[in-house]
Amino acid sequence: MKKNIFYLLSGCIALALLAIFWYSVEINKPLLIEISFILGIVIIYIARRNVTDLIEDERSAKITEKAALRTFQVFWVVFCAFSISAVMQILHVPSFPRNRTFEHIPNSPPAILEIMPPRMMGYIQLGLLCLMIFLYVEFRLYYARKYGDWETDEE
Amino acid sequence: MHDMTQEDLAQKIGVTRQTILAIEKGKYVPSLDLAFRIARHFDVNIEEVFTYEKEGRTIEID
Repeated sequence: MKKNIFYLLSGCIALALLAIFWYSVEINKPLLIEISFILGIVIIYIARRNVTDLIEDERSAKITEKAALRTFQVFWVVFCAFSISAVMQILHVPSFPRNRTFEHIPNSPPAILEIMPPRMMGYIQLGLLCLMIFLYVEFRLYYARKYGDWETDEE
Repeated sequence: MHDMTQEDLAQKIGVTRQTILAIEKGKYVPSLDLAFRIARHFDVNIEEVFTYEKEGRTIEID
């Protein structure tokens, strides 16, 4: 398979997944998009293995590895820092006596659940996951530049 | 010395032309395996192709 056909196929799969996503929202069946997403990624992985004119040498492998590692290093800290508040909700910290005792006092700190309902936390976590993709792209561009991807010569 | 383009060398040793260019420019330090492959391709010792410097490494491919 040629490289361009692979990119075309990936684009088609992305569009199909977007359509399935909206359809699964419409019929309220999250399992549909979950299975479709996994299948789509598996197809992309299989197709990529069959690309003949895509050379991946040690330099490109190093760029990928470095970008992935740095993304992970940044992402897990941000994600875990945010998820701590989710853990607090699980542990029912807002229902500790402090809140009940002082809730009648004006200007007392609001309960965490009021500030950040569980649904909002889910949205933020989803947003962080999307941010991870952009973070990876940024790191990839940085390391590609560092390891001479856009170097030119006199040839 | 060797009438060869970067593209030719890259194809012979199984890397991209950009990798050869990055090595020449000192932007990328090749692995020992790749360094040996380059040296063997030119039928010379590795020291004749690569020189070690404290702050990086240089390659001299004619």
